[in-house]
Parts: sequence; structure tokens; C-alpha cells
Amino acid sequence: MSVGAVDITYRGIFQKNLAGVITKELVKAARHEDKIGGTVQRYGDSPERNGIPAKQFSVIADDADSLRVEMTKYEPSNVVVVAVMDDTLTKGVESWAWYGVRPINLNLAPGGTLLVISRRSAEELLELIPRREYAWNLAILPGEPSFGGLWVYNDDGTDYRTMGAVSRVAGDLVSLDSLLAQAASGQDGELRAEQLREGHDSVRAYPVDAGVGAEDTYEPVEMPGWTQMREGLVIPAVPVGETNPLFKKYTTRTARPLVKFDACVKCQICYTVCPDECFIPTPEGHWDIRYESCCGCGICAQSCPVTGCIEMVDEAVFDSNEPLHGVYENNREEYEELRQDKLAKAGGPIPHYGIF
Amino acid sequence: MAAPELTVPDLEINRRITILPLQEYYTSGHRTCQGCESALVMRYMAKVAGPRTLVTGTTGCMYVANTSYNSTPWSLPWAHTQLGSSGSSAIGTSAALKALMRKGKIPDERINVIAFCSDGGGGDMGLATLSAAMQDTRYNLLILLYDNESYANTDIQASGMTPWGAVTAFTPSGKRQRITHHRWKKNVPALLMAGHPTGRYFANTSSGFGMDLMEKVRTALDMDGPTFVQTHDPCPKGWDYDPRMSHELAVMAVECGITVLWDCLEGELRYQGISRQQVEGKLRRRPVADYLRRQGRFAHFADEDIDFFQSRIDEMWEDWILPGVLRVNQTPFGPGGSRG
Repeated sequence: MSVGAVDITYRGIFQKNLAGVITKELVKAARHEDKIGGTVQRYGDSPERNGIPAKQFSVIADDADSLRVEMTKYEPSNVVVVAVMDDTLTKGVESWAWYGVRPINLNLAPGGTLLVISRRSAEELLELIPRREYAWNLAILPGEPSFGGLWVYNDDGTDYRTMGAVSRVAGDLVSLDSLLAQAASGQDGELRAEQLREGHDSVRAYPVDAGVGAEDTYEPVEMPGWTQMREGLVIPAVPVGETNPLFKKYTTRTARPLVKFDACVKCQICYTVCPDECFIPTPEGHWDIRYESCCGCGICAQSCPVTGCIEMVDEAVFDSNEPLHGVYENNREEYEELRQDKLAKAGGPIPHYGIF
Repeated sequence: MAAPELTVPDLEINRRITILPLQEYYTSGHRTCQGCESALVMRYMAKVAGPRTLVTGTTGCMYVANTSYNSTPWSLPWAHTQLGSSGSSAIGTSAALKALMRKGKIPDERINVIAFCSDGGGGDMGLATLSAAMQDTRYNLLILLYDNESYANTDIQASGMTPWGAVTAFTPSGKRQRITHHRWKKNVPALLMAGHPTGRYFANTSSGFGMDLMEKVRTALDMDGPTFVQTHDPCPKGWDYDPRMSHELAVMAVECGITVLWDCLEGELRYQGISRQQVEGKLRRRPVADYLRRQGRFAHFADEDIDFFQSRIDEMWEDWILPGVLRVNQTPFGPGGSRG
């Protein structure tokens, strides 16, 4: 009687169909080994929102009884692989429902594998991933995150490459042979087989000892019981001038806007078009960004009339959510150095097409 | 009982965005998508309404995403109301305030009553209560319909305001049938305007034109009697595009003539901004292909579908006496046509 689960952590909506393909195909492949399985989408992530971290699981068991027990749980207990579809998710996951920002490897079983699709090195990723009290493995599948839409699927092979990688790091859960047999029964069998083998061969795994990694700042959130709630489902309003203290959006970001304050013409368009009320005025007339509230949609960068003033930069190179205008006020050269440093680490800004 | 001292924003809004009040009454911390333009509409609405406002909201994205899990971004008093009842909740709230003031229980002052609904809640289910609200001239209320062209909260089902041919969960595109959504989008502000001579103010606007939107909301709140404003907001989740294009798509819908910026104040119809220039013939409309080709929900369109869409938009602009508003192209007094 054994049961294991693969956790697919992905960006809501953008990778919903991708995660669906992976979880379903893994379960179908496990049937070739006379195992039984099911897929489940975490209820708390529904309705999914663009970019907000979400999870789907495939649970694979030797017999139906242990599967049934496992499927009743909110999150499966024995997660042997956590597959991360976008490497900026390694900074932490705050789902649509409110549990606070949780570490990416929170539910990983001891000795399990965290599989990340990334172009970064293991050292760079371990600066972001919190340490555990037990040993685990970090596996890296080289590649760019695959983003699609709700209706248009980005069929770039990431799905089958990831499955190939899962069969390498958790071969006793589902083997490459069963995945190949499953792929052969569907459309484009040869192409899928090639992608499976490519993923299987190109994944690199690194053992991580207990206590290695970034600091773990996670504190479990205390949910109010029904006796603590106010009558009539009344919630106190946010005091004027403050923001909602219970929900921050920064784990939704894949990129963040970085402002070149020297180029700013103080037109206020970024402030006007921001749907998340991130921009805060400064005495000089610049607009500072409250990164805790920013979900990284990029509308400000797209609407900014000055080329190179607001640029979207990969989220993984930043370690703080503090506003940056203070640095600029103290020392302009230091701020420019910081900006150039982040841009260099991220390999330049993410290109956009200005509307003006 | 004395009203607490609160700063009321400067009510005179003009086209300079730099004089906008900086105070937000709908703040950060909402569980909306990246690039959600409906959240932007809520923000604009709360900003110009100011603190002396009561808001009720029907079920939809702006209810679920803003008030779930014991937290909220609202600084204004807000209450949820059932899917089809935006109109009745607005009348009830307004009537209750009036009664309390008459009895001297609260000071007699101007309190804005806003009920917002989405295209599903207002345009489909709540149409009856919207109609009732527009008939009753005794109460001051504003109904704001944020139109993201689908039931977006429940993962995109087709509503009466989904554009022709768009892919939704109910209308997928297949191999045998490319187009499965055959209904043309309904025009709710024109529908309400045509049928309710008692309504004081009707407007159609877009989230891409923040100043226009805020001006219209402010005009509506300053009127006595029932008023209605509809906004057209791109939805990155259901329309399937990169969230950073949200603002651009809202502007493009107006440039293509799909969304028309108009309002009707006491029976006087006016066009604003780009739409006004298009009506006056000073600006050419952009081909709708520019707008459609940027969205995943129209990715299945063949050239003939785009041509059909364009022909319907052309007809709306060239044959109707009130371009983009009301389909009347013939009157007993002779043929019409916007170009005379």
C-alpha cells in the first residue's frame, strides 16, 4: 500500500491547461504499470486569476483504497515531486485563498524532489528557496517558462519534457517506458516521445542537505474561527489612506516595474492606469512603487510615454519588496548602479511595445 | 447627530489628470487578475464618489475578488446583493436613506448611492431591476455596469454581452463549427435610454479613458434621479491576451468603433473624445482586425469572420441615425444616416 503525489505549482490561467495536461497524462501513464490514480485541482485556488500561484496534483497509488483516502485530503500528504512551472514561484507562493506566503517546498516529502523549469543555476535558485529540516533534491530542467492562455494553448513541448523529467526523478512513481507507451497511443506519438526523452535526459538533479538554502520566514496563518467572526459576515473597512493588510500581491509577479527616476517627466499616467493602486507620490513629483501591492501586470510600463523610464525586470533578481525611491533620494548614482546591476543580472528588461 | 468631518474631493473634474484627488477609497489588496481593468473602474468610481457614498455590488468578479477570506480593499461602506438585484438594492438603499433623513435620524445631506453590476448580473439577469430603477424618479442613484463581456468570475461563460463569435466555456470553437456564439452583443445603455424617458443620465464609457469615465460618474452622481453608466473593461483572463495590453485594448476598441463614448443628459445625446471625432468625420475608424487579432478568444476567426464583424460595425456607423448607439436608419420623415 503506497501512494505518492506530484504537485504541479504554476501561474494561474497562464499555465492552467499546461498543468492539466501534465497531471492527466501522468495518471494515464501510471495505468500502464497497473497503478491507479486521480488528478485534483486545489479548491482554494478556484476561481483562478491570471498570474496568481495555483496547484494541481496527480495522485498515484497501488490500490483504490489508499487512493480514495488520499483524494479526500485538501492537499495530498506524500508529495514526492513538486514541479515548478515558472522559476519566480520559488520565491514563495501565496495562492488566491489566504494562507500567507508559503515556501515552495513546504509540502515536499523528505527525500523528495523540487523540479524547477529554469535557466538559472542551482546556487542562484537556492538563494531563493527556503531551507528544510530534512534532505531533499533540487532538479533543474533547463528551459523558459511556457505561458499560454485560457483558450490558446502554448504547445511548445514543456508538458512532455516535464513529464520526462518527472520519470527521471521519481521513476518508481511512473517510469519513462509507461509514459512512452501512453504517448504512443495518442496524437503526434513520435514527437511526444522525443520530447519525453529530451526532458528525461536533460534534467539535472542536486542533493540538498538539511539546513541548506535561504532563511525560512514562514509562519502558519491563524484563521479566525467562526466564533471570532463578526455577526452578519461584517468585515471592518480599510481605514482611508491604508491598504488591505491581509492580502499582498507580490507572489503574483513574474516581473516587476523598475523606474528610472531621472527620465521621469512626472506625467502621472502610471499612477492613473495602475489597477492595483501601487504608485505613491513623492514630494519631488516622482511616483514611487509600493512593491507589496504590485502584481506585475506591466500596464504602467506599457503606458509610460518615455522610452526606458519604466521597465519590466525579471522578479527573481530582487530580494526585497521595499519601495526604491528612498535609495534614489539618498544617492542618485547609487540608485542608477543598483538599477543597472539588476538589469544586468536579469539579462535586460522584458521588451514591450509602447502605445504612444 | 453631526456628520464626521471628512474631506470631500473637489467635485469639478476636468481633463487634467494632475488635479485628480490622490485619496483612494478602493485600495490595494484585491484578489483580481494581473491587469484587471474592472478593478481600475472600481478605483475610479470610488475616487470621484468620495467618502459620503454607499456602494452595493452584485455577485461577480468585483464581489468575489474584493471581499473574500475576511478581508477587503474597500474604504467605503459596501454590501453584497444578489446577482439580479442591483436595481432593487439601489432603490432600497436610496429610499431608506430618504426615510431616515425625513425622520431626523441622520442629518439631511447628500449621500451617493451606487450599485454596480457586471454584464451578466446587469445585462442578463438584472435587466428587470435595472429597468425598475430607471423608472423611479424619486430616488437618487447610480447604477454602474462594468462590462467585461463574459461571466468572468466563474471561468468565462458566454453572457448576453459577449461579442459575436468569441470563444467562451459555453461556446468553444471546433473543427466542424468554427463559430458557436451567434448572438450579437446587446447595447444595455441604449436599451435603457430608449425605454426609460424618466432616467436622467445614461452613459457609455471605457476603462481606457479614465478621465471620461470619472467625468461621467461624477455627472451621474450630481444628478437627481436615476442614472446609469456602463464601462467597457478588457479582461485578460477571458479575452486571452498579455495583461500588459489591457489599457491598449480598451483604447483600441474605441478607435475601431466597437465601443462608443457617448452620454445622454436629460435627452441630449453627446459623443466624447475619439468617438466624437469619428462621428464628425474628422478621424477614420481603425480596422477591427487590429483589435480582434490581439485576443485569444478570436484566434479561430477566419478572414470572412473578420469581414463580417467589420461589416456589422460599418453598418452601425454609416447607416444608423445615431451612430453606434441606436439602430434607427429610417424615420417617417425620410431616410436618415449620420452623414446626412
